[in-house]
Amino acid sequence: MYGWEMLSFNIHDGFLEAIVRGNRSGLLTAADYNNLCQCETLDDIKMHLTATEYGPYLQNEPSPLHTTTIVEKCTLKLVDEYKHMLCQATEPLSTFLQYITYGHMIDNVVLIVTGTLHERDVNELLEKCHPLGMFDSIASLAVAQNMRELYRLVLVDTPLAPYFSECITSEDLDDMNIEIMRNTLYKAYLEDFYKFCQKLGGATAEIMCDILSFEADRRAVNITINSIGTELTRDDRRKLYSNFGLLYPYGHEELAVCEDVDQVRGAMEKYPPYQSIFSRISYGESQMLDKAFYEEEVRRLCLSFEQQFHYGVFFAYIRLREQEIRNLMWISECVAQNQKARVHDSVVFIF
Amino acid sequence: MAGQNQRLNVVPTVTMLGVMKARLVGATRGHALLKKKSDALTVQFRAILKKIVAAKESMGETMRASSFSLAEAKYVAGDGVRHVVLQSVRAASVRVRSHQENVAGVKLPKFTHFVDPAAASGGPSNASPSLTGLARGGQQVAACRAAHVKAIEVLVELASLQTSFLTLDEAIKTTNRRVNALENVVKPRIENTISYIKGELDELEREDFFRLKKIQGYKKREIERQRANAKLFAEEQLAEDLALKRGISVGAAANLLVAGGEKDDDIIF
Repeated sequence: MYGWEMLSFNIHDGFLEAIVRGNRSGLLTAADYNNLCQCETLDDIKMHLTATEYGPYLQNEPSPLHTTTIVEKCTLKLVDEYKHMLCQATEPLSTFLQYITYGHMIDNVVLIVTGTLHERDVNELLEKCHPLGMFDSIASLAVAQNMRELYRLVLVDTPLAPYFSECITSEDLDDMNIEIMRNTLYKAYLEDFYKFCQKLGGATAEIMCDILSFEADRRAVNITINSIGTELTRDDRRKLYSNFGLLYPYGHEELAVCEDVDQVRGAMEKYPPYQSIFSRISYGESQMLDKAFYEEEVRRLCLSFEQQFHYGVFFAYIRLREQEIRNLMWISECVAQNQKARVHDSVVFIF
Repeated sequence: MAGQNQRLNVVPTVTMLGVMKARLVGATRGHALLKKKSDALTVQFRAILKKIVAAKESMGETMRASSFSLAEAKYVAGDGVRHVVLQSVRAASVRVRSHQENVAGVKLPKFTHFVDPAAASGGPSNASPSLTGLARGGQQVAACRAAHVKAIEVLVELASLQTSFLTLDEAIKTTNRRVNALENVVKPRIENTISYIKGELDELEREDFFRLKKIQGYKKREIERQRANAKLFAEEQLAEDLALKRGISVGAAANLLVAGGEKDDDIIF
């Protein structure tokens, strides 16, 4: 099965795979993180980062640095790399790369819609959007007053259009609906991405389906935990779970009725990969749960680099960069707020 | 002291003395009252100072915790979560209400915070269990919200204490100034006036006494003189009687003198 890919993969995608593997070596290592954790000020962090690939993006920053500036510049580097890859990509890799950004696109759409509902300035909102999730007609989102208009006027031209089929029923755009809309969209996006990867077949399907399943399961667990004690009903909660993954369908049934974290833990202990995650955290520590999930995700993403001739590396690379930016943000926040004791709480070493 | 040599410009009379004494009594009572008020305010002041120190310490802790919880939320939910939360807020749900409290006659402004129920139902980030960050970081967002609400509580309390502190400080200064003015200016001045009036009155009394003495002396001397005159007259009379007996007439002059002497006995001076 893999043999066939080896024959033809490099014709179109060999160059980009080489690039992404080259970029991978630019990710910060454990030694870098150790150095960064020793820093006393944000300027020290900047100094350390100038020795890495982030150097050109940070070197011209004036001295009173802020955490947001660092995060912004690091995101800029990610966006530049992504754009570079997207320009070089041919079908179907270019579609695959675009799929990666749909998550941010959904976030941006939701942000603009929420802002518009509260009568904020559109230009101000556009500045706050994630650069990876920008699309041409995003500014015209502001005119929409209800779901139907939103779909008809703007989103029908975007790749997100098919995802709206599920939530087109709800008429009003109020705050509750928006958050549900975001998650419905994301669910549809994950399912679509999953199908797309299966269609690609081969090692890509194998690796990506594993990663996406994990993503879907993590979402299911998080939605469950975060919706405990809210107005979200069990049926609504059930509807937000993606229809694939290790937990589908029996795990979802169990999660849908969970009323507290311990029940979630009970439900998850039947699944060996998640049992190990839950066994590592003690009772009542949700921050640790997030870190454990991130660590597991990073582990799976890193594994994708072990195989060749598949698209998983692109997804993995973007995700690892995002995790790295999160790490940098955490370290900078800890340094800026003088909380160095907690630096190691949330940093996930990538390699 | 400045007021030591001063006195009020008054006429030194007994009536004025009475008025001054009444004023002194009033000033003393006012001084005692103000002193008591100043003490009460100082007690309050100290208590507030203690509370401010405690509040400031806890504020440092709370602010640090809240900003760190924001970092946690950002770590889990992504950097964009702050925009999501920011955009979905319509009106502030935590409001501050101010009212006045009376401490020893000083009106202290007090602030209390309360949750505006109308605004609280306005948005998801206001309603207590929200759906923000449902897929990731919802708990952290909620924790962050709780931490910041706590920080706001401490801030409101601190603001209330600080305002009372300043107001009380001002009030204490005014009261102390009044106490000192009464003690060091008004009271000495009245006392000086009283002693001045007393001195003047004493002086008058002494003058009167002296005059009486003087007159008494004069009277005494006059009586002596009269007595001497009477004696002389008696001797002359005797001599005249003798002369009459001898037939020498000096009676006319002698009679006139006797008659005048008898008549004018009362009008010596």
